[in-house]
Amino acid sequence: MKTLINIIKSFTLFELLKGMSLTGKRFATKKFTVQYPEEKTPQSPRFRGLHALRKYPNGEERCIGCKLCEAVCPALAITIDSEEREDGSRRTTRYDIDLFKCVYCGFCEEACPVDAIVETRVFEYAFFERGQQIMTKDMLLEVGRKYEEEIAADRQADAPYR
Amino acid sequence: MNEVSSKKSVLSDHLQDEIEDWISRYPIDQKQSAVLGALRALQHEEGYLPVEKMDAIAEYLEMPAIAVYEVASFYSMFELKPVGKHTISVCTNLSCMLRGADEIVEHLKNKLDIDLGESTPDGKFYLKQEEECLAACCGAPMMQVDHVYKENLTVEKVDAILKELDHKN
Amino acid sequence: MSEETVQIFINDKEVTAPKGAMVIEVTDQLDVDVPRFCYHKKLSVAANCRMCMVEVENAPKPLPACATPVMEGMKVYTKSPLALDAQQGTMEFLLINHPLDCPVCDQGGECELQDIAMGYGNSVSRYTERKRVVPDKELGPLVSTDMTRCIHCTRCVRFGTEIAGISELGATGRGEFMEIGTYVEKSLSSELSGNVIDVCPVGALNAKPSRMSARAWEMVQSASVMPHDSVGSNVYLHTLRNQVMRVVPRENDEINETWISDRDRFSYEGLNASDRATQVMLKTDQGWQATDWDTSLTHVADKLKQYQVNDIGVLAAPHSTLEELYLLQKVFRQLGVNNIDHRTQQLDFIDQNAMPLFPYLGQTIKSIEENNSVFLVGSNIRLEQPMLAHRIRKANAIGCEVVSLNSQEFDFHFARHYTWNLAPQQWLQALAEIAKCADSIDKLPAELRNIVDAVNISTDAQQIYDLLNNSQQSSVMLGAIAQSHPQASALRALSDFIAQVTNSNFGMLAQSGNTVGAWLSGVLPHRFSAGEINPNAGLNASEMIATSRRAYVLFNLEPEFDFANSPQALEAMQTADFVVVFTPFNNEQIQQYADVILPIATFAETDGTFVNTVGHWQSIGKAVSAPGEARPAWKVLRVLANKLGFGDVQYQTSEQIRDELKQLFTDEIDFTSHLKDFSHVNLKSDVNKMHRVSETPIYAVDNIVRRASSLQIAVADQESHVAMSTEQAKQLDLLNEQVVRVVQGKREVTLPLRIVESMSDNCVWVQRSAAQKDTLGEAIAPVEVQRTANA
Repeated sequence: MKTLINIIKSFTLFELLKGMSLTGKRFATKKFTVQYPEEKTPQSPRFRGLHALRKYPNGEERCIGCKLCEAVCPALAITIDSEEREDGSRRTTRYDIDLFKCVYCGFCEEACPVDAIVETRVFEYAFFERGQQIMTKDMLLEVGRKYEEEIAADRQADAPYR
Repeated sequence: MNEVSSKKSVLSDHLQDEIEDWISRYPIDQKQSAVLGALRALQHEEGYLPVEKMDAIAEYLEMPAIAVYEVASFYSMFELKPVGKHTISVCTNLSCMLRGADEIVEHLKNKLDIDLGESTPDGKFYLKQEEECLAACCGAPMMQVDHVYKENLTVEKVDAILKELDHKN
Repeated sequence: MSEETVQIFINDKEVTAPKGAMVIEVTDQLDVDVPRFCYHKKLSVAANCRMCMVEVENAPKPLPACATPVMEGMKVYTKSPLALDAQQGTMEFLLINHPLDCPVCDQGGECELQDIAMGYGNSVSRYTERKRVVPDKELGPLVSTDMTRCIHCTRCVRFGTEIAGISELGATGRGEFMEIGTYVEKSLSSELSGNVIDVCPVGALNAKPSRMSARAWEMVQSASVMPHDSVGSNVYLHTLRNQVMRVVPRENDEINETWISDRDRFSYEGLNASDRATQVMLKTDQGWQATDWDTSLTHVADKLKQYQVNDIGVLAAPHSTLEELYLLQKVFRQLGVNNIDHRTQQLDFIDQNAMPLFPYLGQTIKSIEENNSVFLVGSNIRLEQPMLAHRIRKANAIGCEVVSLNSQEFDFHFARHYTWNLAPQQWLQALAEIAKCADSIDKLPAELRNIVDAVNISTDAQQIYDLLNNSQQSSVMLGAIAQSHPQASALRALSDFIAQVTNSNFGMLAQSGNTVGAWLSGVLPHRFSAGEINPNAGLNASEMIATSRRAYVLFNLEPEFDFANSPQALEAMQTADFVVVFTPFNNEQIQQYADVILPIATFAETDGTFVNTVGHWQSIGKAVSAPGEARPAWKVLRVLANKLGFGDVQYQTSEQIRDELKQLFTDEIDFTSHLKDFSHVNLKSDVNKMHRVSETPIYAVDNIVRRASSLQIAVADQESHVAMSTEQAKQLDLLNEQVVRVVQGKREVTLPLRIVESMSDNCVWVQRSAAQKDTLGEAIAPVEVQRTANA
């Protein structure tokens, strides 16, 4: 019986037509493929890319050196030194993130009591020499400066769910 | 190193007599019981409690200086900074408040042009912040002027009292 | 102590508790958790935080566990709804005015309030009104304040009154306006002030030197022992990335209880000093050159072999580890050197053969508290041995009489004490007077007996004798000033005699963390390890510098500070041919006299053992590694030994060295503080000449403490000066604050004069600031005080 059905199927080109009908259907519908880098996929406001250190609008850096991000980091990618600044506030003298170690889990962002360390939507970066993967405090602040508007808008969008 | 120079000498003879009198009322090994009496005498003499004289009292009564400061700062009747000559404190506790103490306070503030807890620039009046009931509810609203109760106050009565005090000077 | 006990029930479990104990003591012993803030086991009960509320059956309301004595058949519930409700209510009130700034608070992570809030607090505060803000207080360079965080437990206030003996902090104001502070701005002056940091359950009082530099959870904790005084306080070193960030006490009831002195707490700053030696340095014709260990040690070995053994002097600091000291003497003894000593602060060595095995305290540290009377001879004990002074203070608080023989009234914190004020040159006579009160002075050798016979008993002497004689337990303690006295041997002999005839404990206050270790390991010219007599006794420390040697080996010492006669020591080093310096520090001063600088590890950077004044051996492991090329000294010494041709010195661990020494003590270690005989004493003195007296300032005792910057700031206002009494100043026609010249032999110094009423006649107190070296010479010696020309 099985043999008979197979013979009929092969003579009527059933499999071929079945395949061609799928191709034909897809040919007419909308495509999802994105032509990266010319085209980009949409990102969630919760996207976890390159890190940034933020400042308040008055120019004061947010980070208070509490080291909670350092403590929570599962990859031990963050290294912080802190001291008392002249005005008596607690500030970092060193804030390094090793991007080779980082697993972009976003715990640092979550642990931060002042929204200082954040992960931005930036994900296109590369290193060409060893050592470049260490993001220092100045570099992180610069990322923060550059994308502040976007970062602030993303936090705002996510605020109701936090 | 021990600086043995005695601080007692900053206290006037009268004050020392007064303190001795207070000490004599308590058992010999409990000299520090006299601290309240001594501070009161000091305030009477100086109008307030200067630190160096509190230190002297501490030495006199053989107690740590900080213990004297603690007592002095605990009681609101003691002044820790120089204040005006006449101390006016208006009771603003429940009975007085219901009978219009707030108005009296407002009037005093305007008349003397100072806030509660301040002294007039000429050093005559001190408007004390009173925390608790002065126990004269029967005559509410009332105020205490240099330890004397003035009861059933009205704005006019307050003016008269101030005038009288001004004259006294 | 009453033996009576009661049966009580804690959470339905029956327990036996001593009568009169508080409920919280019983629950603590059972490990039943009762939250608390104001209760501290070493402080009095205040019961003002109301956190430790527990339910007691038949009591209408919850009761504070810390202030409720146990009673027969009492039923206590610590976790009942009533108790929990009370605790949660208290917690909510405490948090009303607490800023909740944990992320920036140094206490965060080790905070009692934080911990208990996790257990008993609500996650959301119902309080929406404004919080109270309290201005911070300035308490000096050691303790930082954030007074808004204060919850008014008053532990710090009680610590000051009950433990430190100086009431400096108090609670001023009342109600909402209550603040903890000093009222007038002043630094904490207690030598134990740092302990308020530990007793503070919140972040109101914190350590200023380590402020905001590390979080509690990221530091690694290593048990250690502090070498700056002779009790060897137990501590934890908290380290972060190979750096000691802070020091906290490690509880040991036998030694330091739960306290440590400021010197122990903040000396760690010296470990991170800017002049740490990180390079092996060799002086060549072209000046100083960095080199490697192999070259330098070969050089040292070759050089040392060129000198006759008697031309070499080996001097070691008694705050080095036992292993280092033992190996040092072993290597140089093997080379044939007998001039080995650690007693750099001593001037009189004549009785060295009569000394006991080691300078023993004569009793355990804890048993000091049981004394009914203590007689201190030449000691400013509060600055010398803060923890021993604390024990005496505890005894004093329950009735122990403290008397001292000193040149002035020191600022002791004892409630009652009497100072017999005499110039140091009269101390011998004074002790002779006390000795004469005894029935039999036959035990004394003729020399001393003559002196005793010649004196007349004064009332002071009689009273001190009677006091010691009539006390059930009494002690005579010989302090650092007495031990650096030119007649130290005679003072020792008479003190010991007085102790024996009055049936008192006799104790010598050992100077440093391992003075005892140095005695046991044989860093002495006249004894080998384990007290074995050396028939060919070498020169002692004083002779070594007085009769210049050609070569010196300085171990952990800085001659300009660490000698009873520092200027002479410095001179000796400068004139010597060849000076090898084992030192954790390298600076211009050292380079002036050194020829080889061998960088070594400090106590925190090496494994080692310290033996304290009661002969207790405490071994510690290293907490961090030494910076740069610096190595643990025992390893350096091992290699040096090999270079010298002693191939048998092959230790792999410091424990092997310690065990080798330990095995030398074939018998039980002889715990006696008494001298073997009184026959060798130094009686030379100029009783009529005016003498100077000095002590090593509290924060100048060793090379690490001297570099602890916060401690130095704490004593920065203590200027160098000369102190004398009004009477004395009048005699010499001098005025207070006048600049005077002090002439001692060939050396002189100009200093401002301060009138100190309690100074005894015929002597002056030369106080130097910690950072300054003594340029006069012997610590106790005849001097002249003159007006300066421009005065």
